[in-house]
Amino acid sequence: MSASVEPVPLPAPPLRQRRWVPVLVLAAVMIGIVSGGYVTSDALGKAGGETVAVSSSVTVTALPGWELAGRFTDPIGVRLSKGSASLDVASLPFTGSSEGLLAAYVQNVLEPGAEQFRVSETVEGVVLNSGQFGARITYVGLFGDVQAPIEGEVTAVVTPDGLGVIFDGWAPSGQLQYAIDDIHTMIQGAEIT
Amino acid sequence: MTADPQLVRPPRTGWGRKTSLFQWRQPAFWLYAAIVLVTAVYTVSQQKLFQDLSPTGWALSWLLLLVYGLPLFLAIYLLDLYEREPLSLVFGALVWGAVAATVLAGIANAGWGLVVARVGGAAFAAEWTAALTAPFVEESLKVAGVILIYLIARDEMDDMMDGFVYGAMVGLGFALVEDVFYFIAIFGGTTGGVLAGFYVRVVSSGFYGHVLYTGLAGMGVAYFVSRRGEVTFGRRLAVALGLFAAGVGSHFLWNSPWLNFFPETVNGPADWLRIPLAAAVKGAPLLLFVVVLVNLARRRERMWLEAALRSEVGSPALSEPELRVLLNPPARRRSRREMKARAGQGAERLLRRLQKEQINLAMVRTRAEADDAPEVVRQRELCRSLRDALLSIPGAALARTATGAQTGAER
Repeated sequence: MSASVEPVPLPAPPLRQRRWVPVLVLAAVMIGIVSGGYVTSDALGKAGGETVAVSSSVTVTALPGWELAGRFTDPIGVRLSKGSASLDVASLPFTGSSEGLLAAYVQNVLEPGAEQFRVSETVEGVVLNSGQFGARITYVGLFGDVQAPIEGEVTAVVTPDGLGVIFDGWAPSGQLQYAIDDIHTMIQGAEIT
Repeated sequence: MTADPQLVRPPRTGWGRKTSLFQWRQPAFWLYAAIVLVTAVYTVSQQKLFQDLSPTGWALSWLLLLVYGLPLFLAIYLLDLYEREPLSLVFGALVWGAVAATVLAGIANAGWGLVVARVGGAAFAAEWTAALTAPFVEESLKVAGVILIYLIARDEMDDMMDGFVYGAMVGLGFALVEDVFYFIAIFGGTTGGVLAGFYVRVVSSGFYGHVLYTGLAGMGVAYFVSRRGEVTFGRRLAVALGLFAAGVGSHFLWNSPWLNFFPETVNGPADWLRIPLAAAVKGAPLLLFVVVLVNLARRRERMWLEAALRSEVGSPALSEPELRVLLNPPARRRSRREMKARAGQGAERLLRRLQKEQINLAMVRTRAEADDAPEVVRQRELCRSLRDALLSIPGAALARTATGAQTGAER
C-alpha cells in the first residue's frame, strides 16, 4: 500500500441543499429567542398552587408559577408575582358599591402616584365563582421610579357586609396580556366570606 | 488603459446586480414570507385596536410618523450614492422590522422578562427588565431580517453600506410601529398625548434608536458576507459580532437606569427642554460613531467606483474630468445645475442620464468577464451616444467646459 495516495476531496453539496442550511439555522435561532425565555423560566422551577390568606375573610389560590412576593398592612393585602406581572389583593372595610370602591382606589391610590395616568372609559361588570359581583377597569401610567410604563386592571368587589376587596393586576406595558388569564382565574376563584 | 496599482482590488462580481425580493426558489424567501404573513395578523389586529381606542390619536400618530419616517427613509435609501438597493428588498427590510420583528420581540421579551424576574426578583425586574431583555431580543430578531434579506438576494449585499441600508430600514420599520404603540398605549392616544409622545420619542430621541442599532448590526452582517477572500474568517466574525454588540450595548444603555438625566416629571418648559438633552447624553455618542462608520463605508464605495472606472478613462465612455465629477456627488449636482442654467432642462436631464449610465458602466464592468465583453462595449457606446446628444444642444459644451467635464475635444 502506498502512503502517497492523495485523498479525494468530496464534491461540494448541490447548491439547493446548501441554501436550506443557513435558513434552517436562522429559523432555529429565532425559535430559540422567542421561546427560550419561557423554557428557561420553566426550567428554573415552578412554584405556587398554594392558598394565600389575604385577611381573615379573603383567600386567593396562587396558580402554579405565582409566588407570594410580599404583604402590606394599609390596607391589609398581599402581592403575588410571576415574572414581571403582579397581582395585589387588598381587603378593607367599605360601604358603597363596587364602582364606588373602584373610583376610590383609582383616586386615592393609583392617580396620586402616577404620571400620564389613563383609565378605561367603561366599567366592566364581573361575577366571581362565588357569585359575588364586581366592577373592573383597566389603566396605564408611569409609577414611581419604575421607568417602564405600567398597564393594569383593577377589579373591585364589595360584599353586603361592608367588606371591600381590591384586585390590582399589573405588569410593564405589553406584558400584562401574557399574565391576564392567570390573573382572571385567581380573581374568579378568590374566596370572600 | 492602465489601472492605478493602488486601486487594484479583488473585483466585486456582484456589484450592480439588481435582485428582487420575490425569489420563489429561495428557501429564505419562504421563511421570510411565512413569518411576515403570520405576524401581520397580530399587527393588523393591534392597529385595529388602537384605531378603535382612539381614532384621532391613531390617525395623528401615523401622520406624524409619516412626516418623520418618509424623509428618514429617503435619507437612508439615498445614502448609497453609487448603487441604490432594489426597492422591493428595501421595503422587505422595512416590513420585517415593522411586522415580524415587533411581534416576535413582544412575545420573546415577555418570556425573557420571566427569567429576569425569577432570577432577580420583582423589584429588580421592575427596574432592569427593559435593559436586560429588549436589547438582546430585539436586536437579534431585527438582524435576523437583515440576514434573511442577504439569503434571499446574496448578490445585493456587497459592501458595508448595503448592510447599513438594510439594517437601518429594518430599524426604521420597528421604530414606527413601536412609536404608535407608545403614542396610544402609553401617552394616552389623545391629541395632546400623541404630540407629547412625538416630542419625546421622535423630536428628542428619534435619531438615536433602532435605526442606528440595526444599521450597525447590518454593517456587521455585510462585512462578514462581503469580505470573503479579503479578510480571514476570524476577523470577519469579530467585526460582525463587534458591531452587533455595539448595537446591543447602545440599546442596553438607552433602556438602563444608567446616565438617566430625564426629568421624573414634566412641570414646565425647562423640563421639556431637558428631555432632548438627556436623550443626547445617551444617544449622541452612538450617532457620531455611526456617522464615522457610514462615511468610511461611503469612501470605500467611492474607491470601488474609481477602481472599476479608472481603466475606462480615455475610452469613448469617460474622460478624466468626468470621472472626477462622478466621484464627487456635490460636483455632480453642481455640474447639472450649471448645465440647466446654460443649456436648459433637457440638457440637464441628458447629463443626469449620462452620469447614471457612466456609473452603470462600472457595474457592468465588474460583472463582465472581459474588457471587451459585448455588454461592456454596448454600455460604452450608450455613454458615447448620450454625450454626443448632449453636446449637440446649444450651450451644453460651454457648460461642460466650465464644470471641468469637457470631453468632446479630447476624442
